[in-house]
Amino acid sequence: MQEHHGAGRYVAIWLILSVLTVVTVLTGRMHLPSFGLLLALVIASVKGTLVALYFMHLSEHRGANRLVFGVSIFFVVLLISFVLMDFGTRFRLANPPGSQYSDLQAVDIGANKAEGRFGGNTHEKQDHEKHE
Amino acid sequence: MQSSHSASAPGGAKLAAHFASLDVQKHAARLGMWLFLATEILLFAGLFACYAAYRFLFPEAWAASSRSLDLLMGSINTIVLITSSFTAAMAVHYAKEGKNKLVGHMFFLTLLMAGAFLVIKYFEYKHKFHIGTLPGRYYFYDGIQVPGAPMFFTVYFASTALHAFHVIIGMTVLAIIMVRAYRKGDFGPNNYTAVELGSMYWHLVDLVWIFLFPMLYLV
Repeated sequence: MQEHHGAGRYVAIWLILSVLTVVTVLTGRMHLPSFGLLLALVIASVKGTLVALYFMHLSEHRGANRLVFGVSIFFVVLLISFVLMDFGTRFRLANPPGSQYSDLQAVDIGANKAEGRFGGNTHEKQDHEKHE
Repeated sequence: MQSSHSASAPGGAKLAAHFASLDVQKHAARLGMWLFLATEILLFAGLFACYAAYRFLFPEAWAASSRSLDLLMGSINTIVLITSSFTAAMAVHYAKEGKNKLVGHMFFLTLLMAGAFLVIKYFEYKHKFHIGTLPGRYYFYDGIQVPGAPMFFTVYFASTALHAFHVIIGMTVLAIIMVRAYRKGDFGPNNYTAVELGSMYWHLVDLVWIFLFPMLYLV
């Protein structure tokens, strides 16, 4: 049978998770220029690890369960890093116009309620034209 | 070992004929749940990759759009969901001790907080529909006119809606287990797999939100 712990352990994890949430909100509000997102993701990873290890009991489970979880996280990282490597190494003209890595201007960046981004809501547009 | 397809073991757990022991059966159920949760993680991974790609291309739109979200509501929702995860973990704790009434109470609290989460989410959505920070061609917010801003809200709505859908599924699962704990009350040291797996699903919902929160609200 699985080990059985007192409730104190869950209370401790809950307190740590709450404190980390407050920390990530405070550091997030500072809008740290370069490492803000990195810090937020590190805090989120710590919180996620605590949830997986203690709330989901991965720390006591058999190796196969850890392998399944670990491999799925590995594939997530693989997917995201290859997508970013693709965008980071593209020929500039291949990036969407208006983006940071493009020299082209965005064609139409959205407008008011009547115009919308691609002609907008037709009912609104008709009303708008009627008033004119 | 047994003549019929299943035999009642002490504590109420049924042993299926193809398992050698209750312990083996429990481990198989747990491994199956982890495999399912792995597919769920990869489902959300597609949206995370989408987020990463567009944040890389439109960092200014991402920062501006993120600041238009209600950080207070998002933070309250994070605390609510973490606390509901805690009560779900306590339900497993009490199920192992055979305290069925407390299992029911813990899941009831979890459901209450899940409901609160959805209500707060509803008000956030309502505000966005009102000011026009909507995906793609439905975007009509004058406050942020940067290329890429409608894309942020496409990712925002896709990921939070998929997450909210998981909250609703999780609530359904936990409600069924809660009713069983109150009515049948057959959970005990040898029979807590249903409570454990239901609670694991709920922790996954919490886990996804733990990552979505900084990604969307704290850029």
